[in-house]
Amino acid sequence: MPEITLENLRKEFSGGIKASDGLDLTVRDGEYLCLLGPTGAGKTTALRMICGLTKPDSGRVLFDGKDVSGVPISERRTTMLSQRYALFPNMDVYGNVVFSPVIKGWSEEDTKVLATSMIDMVHMGKKVHSIPGELSGGQQQRTALARALASDSKVLLLDEPLRALDARLRIELRKELKSMVKEMGLTSIHVTHDQDEAMEVADRIAIIRKGRIIQVGTPSDIFQNPATPFIANFLGRSNVFSGTYVGGDSDHSEVEIAPGIVVKARPADMEAGEKAVVAVKVGATVPEVVGAKEDVQDRHLPKVLPDGYFGGTVERVMYEGSTITVETRVEGLGIVSSQRSSRRYEAYKPGTQVSITWQPQKASVFRMPENGLEDEMRLE
Amino acid sequence: MSLLDRINRISDNSGARKAWFGLVVAIFIFIIVIPSVYVITQIFADWDGVSAVFNDSGKMSVIWRAVAVSFGLAFVVTIFDIITGLPMAWIMVRKNFKGKNVLDTLLDMPLAFPTAVLGLSVLMFWGAPEGVDIPGLGLHLSPFMMLILLHIIFTYPYMVRSLSGILEQIEPNYETAAMTLGASRWTAVRTITLPLFRAGLVTGFILCFARSLSETGGTQIALKMLGVNSFYFTGPTYIAEHKTSAVIATPEMILISTILIIFALLLLVVARSIITRMGVSTEKVWPELGRRLSHGAAPVAKDSLAVLILFLFVLIPSFYIFTYLTDPGSVDTGKLISTTATSFFIAGTAVAFDIVFGVPVAIYIARHRGDRLVHILDNLVNVPLIVPTTALGVSLALFWSAATADALPALVLVILGHISFTYPLIVRNITGAVEEVDPSYEETAMTLGAKPFQAFYKILLPVIKTSVIAGAILAFTRSLGETGATQAIAGSNVDTVPIYIVGLVKNGQYPEAAMASIILIAICFVMMLIVRRLTHRGGSRNA
Repeated sequence: MPEITLENLRKEFSGGIKASDGLDLTVRDGEYLCLLGPTGAGKTTALRMICGLTKPDSGRVLFDGKDVSGVPISERRTTMLSQRYALFPNMDVYGNVVFSPVIKGWSEEDTKVLATSMIDMVHMGKKVHSIPGELSGGQQQRTALARALASDSKVLLLDEPLRALDARLRIELRKELKSMVKEMGLTSIHVTHDQDEAMEVADRIAIIRKGRIIQVGTPSDIFQNPATPFIANFLGRSNVFSGTYVGGDSDHSEVEIAPGIVVKARPADMEAGEKAVVAVKVGATVPEVVGAKEDVQDRHLPKVLPDGYFGGTVERVMYEGSTITVETRVEGLGIVSSQRSSRRYEAYKPGTQVSITWQPQKASVFRMPENGLEDEMRLE
Repeated sequence: MSLLDRINRISDNSGARKAWFGLVVAIFIFIIVIPSVYVITQIFADWDGVSAVFNDSGKMSVIWRAVAVSFGLAFVVTIFDIITGLPMAWIMVRKNFKGKNVLDTLLDMPLAFPTAVLGLSVLMFWGAPEGVDIPGLGLHLSPFMMLILLHIIFTYPYMVRSLSGILEQIEPNYETAAMTLGASRWTAVRTITLPLFRAGLVTGFILCFARSLSETGGTQIALKMLGVNSFYFTGPTYIAEHKTSAVIATPEMILISTILIIFALLLLVVARSIITRMGVSTEKVWPELGRRLSHGAAPVAKDSLAVLILFLFVLIPSFYIFTYLTDPGSVDTGKLISTTATSFFIAGTAVAFDIVFGVPVAIYIARHRGDRLVHILDNLVNVPLIVPTTALGVSLALFWSAATADALPALVLVILGHISFTYPLIVRNITGAVEEVDPSYEETAMTLGAKPFQAFYKILLPVIKTSVIAGAILAFTRSLGETGATQAIAGSNVDTVPIYIVGLVKNGQYPEAAMASIILIAICFVMMLIVRRLTHRGGSRNA
């Protein structure tokens, strides 16, 4: 299966919308890569350029180092699984699955064996002669997958393949989807704007924004070491503070985020006085109840946690099943969110005074983006 | 199969695809659009002759009167169609009742009748010279009134079809939402659905207006039977009556054709902008009136009236010709068969041409919405539709005789003429259908290994098949019923069925004309049944 390389792809649509603005990306042989980004980031355009449905204004698409710009769509062996599945309405499940083998003129016997095994693999054996309109969303999705897998493609492009499904089914099907695709050993690119989906299925995640790839890495890598404040907040919610870098050493750095409030974060290569942004995942942000003795903390935690950086008043507590989210109002900073185990539910009430803290290693520091923090964090 | 393979392989080449689209667009412009309006240039080429007519106030008053009759007629008929067609479209789309299928088929029947036949049938029903008397209705009708009654028949189905086409796409959800928000049904429809209706209204308006403006055969028969054909004209009958085999077009014909074409094109532009800008006032509502109109007798009365009008003004007059079966006339079978064969040959060739060269244009238009050139192309498609076919015939004959030095045989010219006015019907139908199809079907097919032509042939074509067939039937019947264009192009050199029937009527051979008409209707009907059966079976085999 090929390794896909995108080199400095550019594509501008009428109206000056830059869907790709110097896109660089390498997808390894047999890898399941998630292309994650907000709506309108240029995810679908990237897929369409890989399979040839959209022609880039400039830049190259390489399969195993070979430029494929001259290869027609039908010969790239890159199959697209689109949002609405695009099951051909004039054919039944079987007809859809054998579409590609028939087009390519394979022997009847091979076609039948292949189609039957694919249909069995996606558990559609009982619906072979149903037309797409009679299938449920999940069944349509499976059929589209079987059709893609039966096409002898080397690359599978999944454009929000789970979008049209119910939340529950989506979660169930995404594991199944990945395991089937991995089994076939295809190089796959899965486009999504759902970070949970990306975290769960991806070998690696590429974060795309405004037509550029801004970070590529394993889910844990990106989650823990986001490259920009935007990623910090997009992949798992973060509390983001802007302030001034006041100093630090090889162990940690210190940032003044409000007059008199200095917080600790990971070490950073910055000069004192530089404008900085600190991002802490809500799960790493700990609100300690002021005055509690053994406290609500896990017993081992208080030892390693620094003293609270700043205090605040709990405003809301939301119960989420296994977790709770505590929203604390902090003078001069606004609302700070924390996610904790729901075993702590009893400890927090609106009005409880808390002191907010986190481990310095859990907080990222960034230079202030050129266009300001608000522009950086915008989701569109 | 090897041909298909070759097309498949060629379709992978984007240069070849562009060349093909370039070719079909060129064909559209040079074979269809330009010949349709070429006559306008003849005003200057034949300036002496035209100015002589122009200075002859006697002739001019006849010409202006004919133009006025044509446009007045088309206008009155179209307004009538809108008012009575709207509730009918509503019934066809939103109501379910026994016999809906039958009514659906009946609604299309007048389109399958050659208009010359309708002319005969209508005249017999509403007061024939032969003394067929309907008690209480055997009024003395002026020629204008009679023409209105005639033109309603073949324009009404177009209006109902266009309106119901749009209505089907407007989800009842909007109405339901408005009603749950407290609007009565009448208010919901008036303020929510009607404003969404404009596109259908524009299409319906253009189709009906153009159809009425173009009609020649039926009108000629009606005027002849009323005995006023030598001094009472519509634009098209003026041209038809003045056509001689000696010259392609007299200055009078050139002048009136140009006037008709220019007025029709102006009207197309004006009607479009007026209807799309026309506001339905939604700020003011009359809840009490709305409630009263939504319940009880009012909706029932409205629906019954719509059905009554359909039967009284459209269906019964069209089918009235069958009363001649009680006293059958003798028919010149040989002549009927040969003219029918000619008609079918012309219609078949024209429709085949339309499909081969029109479908690509339709797909191109539908898939490149928003492109400037496509916008122009899209508007150009309407030109041959709105140009009265008789004027179009004159124009076409002049164009091809100038372009080929009279080398083309009359039959070829007639076919070219029929292509011109049927082409827009097919392109319109298919553009709409393709727009409904998600492009991701073809795209997915291509990523699965289908060549562009395979994606079209295996996926898009089967999906839009019903629209292609519907368009083809529409175009075929339209061609079959056409009198004016054929006459204007070939005089009496090419004998099609409508021309044969018009000729019989002109000679006063009414029973023979009626018999020929009935046979023709039977042939059309059987053909439509066969086509329906074929397409239906094809559909269920795939399903």
